[in-house]
Amino acid sequence: MNCLSALRDGVRRVNRAPSIVIGVWVLTLLVSLPLAVALRGMLEQHLGRSLAADTAASGVNSDWMQEFADQATGLGVTFKPTIIGFGAVLDNLSAFLDNTTRPVAIVGAAAAYIVLWIFVAGGIIDRYARDRATRTHGFFASSGVFFFRFLRLAAVQWVVYAILFGLVHPWLFDRLYPEITRDMTVERTAFLVRVVFYLAFGLPVAAATMVFDYAKVRAVVEDRRSMLGALTSSVRFIQHNAGSATLLFAANFTAFALVVALYAIVAPGAGRSGTMMWIGFALSQLYILARLWVKLTFWASETALFQSRLAHAGYVARPVATWPESPAADAIS
Amino acid sequence: MRSVLALLVVALVVGPGAAAQPGVTGTLNPPQSPRNANYTITARLDPAARTITGTAVITWRNLTTKPAADLQFHLYWNAWKNTQSTFMRERAFGSTGLGPAVDDGQRAKEDWGRIDLTSIAVSSAGAASTDLTSSKRHIAPDDDNAGDETVLSVPLPRVVEAGATATITVAWEAHVPRTFDRTGAIGNFFFIAQWFPKLGVLQDEGWNCHQFHAGTEFFSDYGVYDVSLTVPAGWPVGATGVQRERRENPDGTTTHRYYQEDVHDFAWTTSPDYIERTARFEHSTLPAVDMRLLLQPEHADQADRHFDATRTTLKYYGEWYGAYPYGHITIIDPAFQSAAGGMEYPTLFTAGTRWLAPAGVTTPEGVTIHEAGHQFWYGIVGNNEFEHAWMDEGLNTFSTARAVAHAYDPSYLAMRYFGGFIPWVFRDVVISRETDGNRLAGYRRNARSDAQSTPTFRYFPTSGGSITYNKTALWLNTLERWLGWPTVQRIMATFFERWKFRHPRPEDFFDTASEVAGRDLTGFFDQVHRSSNVFDYGVQSLASAREGDRYRTNVIVRRYGEALFPVDVTVTFRSGERVTEHWDGVERWKLYTYERPAQALSAEVDPDRVLLLDADYTNNSKTLEPKGPAAAAKWSLKWMVWLQDCLLSWAALV
Repeated sequence: MNCLSALRDGVRRVNRAPSIVIGVWVLTLLVSLPLAVALRGMLEQHLGRSLAADTAASGVNSDWMQEFADQATGLGVTFKPTIIGFGAVLDNLSAFLDNTTRPVAIVGAAAAYIVLWIFVAGGIIDRYARDRATRTHGFFASSGVFFFRFLRLAAVQWVVYAILFGLVHPWLFDRLYPEITRDMTVERTAFLVRVVFYLAFGLPVAAATMVFDYAKVRAVVEDRRSMLGALTSSVRFIQHNAGSATLLFAANFTAFALVVALYAIVAPGAGRSGTMMWIGFALSQLYILARLWVKLTFWASETALFQSRLAHAGYVARPVATWPESPAADAIS
Repeated sequence: MRSVLALLVVALVVGPGAAAQPGVTGTLNPPQSPRNANYTITARLDPAARTITGTAVITWRNLTTKPAADLQFHLYWNAWKNTQSTFMRERAFGSTGLGPAVDDGQRAKEDWGRIDLTSIAVSSAGAASTDLTSSKRHIAPDDDNAGDETVLSVPLPRVVEAGATATITVAWEAHVPRTFDRTGAIGNFFFIAQWFPKLGVLQDEGWNCHQFHAGTEFFSDYGVYDVSLTVPAGWPVGATGVQRERRENPDGTTTHRYYQEDVHDFAWTTSPDYIERTARFEHSTLPAVDMRLLLQPEHADQADRHFDATRTTLKYYGEWYGAYPYGHITIIDPAFQSAAGGMEYPTLFTAGTRWLAPAGVTTPEGVTIHEAGHQFWYGIVGNNEFEHAWMDEGLNTFSTARAVAHAYDPSYLAMRYFGGFIPWVFRDVVISRETDGNRLAGYRRNARSDAQSTPTFRYFPTSGGSITYNKTALWLNTLERWLGWPTVQRIMATFFERWKFRHPRPEDFFDTASEVAGRDLTGFFDQVHRSSNVFDYGVQSLASAREGDRYRTNVIVRRYGEALFPVDVTVTFRSGERVTEHWDGVERWKLYTYERPAQALSAEVDPDRVLLLDADYTNNSKTLEPKGPAAAAKWSLKWMVWLQDCLLSWAALV
């Protein structure tokens, strides 16, 4: 199976399990909703019974937004015009590449979200690896089995990403980039240098992500308990299949870029409250769904590629979890 | 005879505007200013060594009623000699968390600047020239900082009597810094300002010659500048005035001679990278102006935007306040990272743009209009920027916002991403003249930081701009909304006419305003200028309940801030009836009671938003049909999408 076949197969596997896409979307919604409710409370309190709310509801009341921002704390400080439409995506991509610090509340939400992803990762990859329905209990049994293994993997990931974002990024962008561009008097040249730096930073991040992805895939497909073993076997796999693995990653990244580009065209603006608000929100959620679909396609296609090279489609070493699957459960009856 | 007739025909066709244009030679007839500080300068730039050597012959006349016993010079570049200067100490506030961090400790030795006066000789009243080099000494009139060398005092062997003239010959050597405060060099881009020993302004109270401060600019007398600059051959030069002569030298350099009358400063720039464009401003009633633009090659496609913005300035400022008299103007587009953008000098200014400058966003237009506008407020009306910076920056910020609103409406918010390189335009967010153009948000944050009447150089360094630029623009626009534009336009035009080519003080503006408005505005200026009090009026409560067959409505309005201003209070009823009350705004609160057949719907203080200085406008109204929940729902959903996208960005690493 070449990388394009793996991508096609991955797409097919994701599309055959829409409940997973819906599930991770619900997960995203559940993490973001409480914070959105909290922000809504802040906004409502600040607006009170003011007529400023009329223009804020029907469009953008820029002056009110600035007044709010001037007194905001915590979550509230992130409420800026950049959240409107495609600006939100640019803001986040830019913050990711520029390693911009976010408020504690956002970092906390992101940490919780990542832990939840670590929890469901085993179930998701297991479902895609088997390429057939594993049912709810099978999904969560796999999730539970791999959660602690993936937490151990996450510890390694944390160290690697901490080095990349905590040491490499500052060295590249806060030290080397200013040194190199210090005497540049042409903005275009400085921007080109920055693009090169983004690549220099982005490629190791992508490489690390690819290694960790295949480590998870191998852990699930081969029922590996040692995460260090999964990592070394992931590296071996990528070494032996460098072309396909890299091209597949690039193809998935291209899909991500296409989704983002499409959203740049259709992203709803500020809009009005009422029906238009919900239409805009629905459109935005389609974008979120598409982003999630792309993320899942990364895993599914990588699973397909791995299985095509070292196993076979649908091969998973660990048996499907069946109820009752534990002595403790047997003891209940 | 035929040629005379032809000339007459041409003159009639061209019309009065063009006929009124002065010859573009740098001369103004008759003289517009006292011309009491005239400089003939010869200077040479060595770009490799980054040095300037110069000599100047200064002809100075004592305009005061008292004799002058000494001379005081600004040596601005010594502010960048080391970290001990007052400028650097004030700038270092940024490094202590009080403002943007400045890491001057990382500067290499060659990045610092300095100016050394190597000789000075003075002659007056026909006496022979006396060498005073050995008697010069640095003084620090503002803070006694012994480490500051930005003011030089030279005692005179004989006083210069009132009305008498002295001829001063100076020579100096200077090292061009890596750009500090819009001055210096980066790569082969040189912007040279505040670069020669410049006399302070002698007033009856003594010399007004402040040290160079981080937050303030300059002050000097008007005169004639005749400046010969030698730079490498092939390097275009932009400078104050008009190029009268250009001489190629055998050593591979070119000497450019620039000349200008009735200006109070001289700045110049050179770089081999500049590309040059020219255009012309023409108007039915205003004199024509030749525009010269020295542009960075990567901005070649933005030349017309620079010219259009400059035309906008010359047109509106000219129509509102008075004509631009010089007949020419030079626009400089500074190099990337030069930090030389957005600064004004007589007949020359630096604009500032970006490689990606989307349409619908006023970059470069906003900064171009502002700096071109300084030709009027700073260049022609020459206030003391050390002490009353609001008189040029504030008047000009107000005028900029007004001109932008006239010429570039609508304009939109743009934010920049990916290291600030990539702009994104938010077409939902229309820039408002009143709040965005006058910079309300910045004022709101620093409203109490200083009374505007405090000498500007004593403002808290990191918030002074809000009081200088923003507050003035806001109170001028408030005045416009209160008295009407025709009145405010006449105030400013009268002030401009009376004080052009002179040095006005704040009272001169206030007196003009009261006189032209036909009412005593002292109370208003006490509030906005002589105090740091904050304006904040609001509706405390609105209740409207049925009593029998009628509704009893109680509206309590409150003055939450300390500052006073008369405001309207409008109550709207469900029947559509609107009742407007005039409240003097003096008491802390006021109750309005109505009995009407219809229930009240809303109450507003200052519904027309006359008082733009109100620090909290959200509390200015209350309604019985609040849309707060709907607005909060809409915006929290928008924010949630941003959050979800943010979460997904980081989840990519899982």
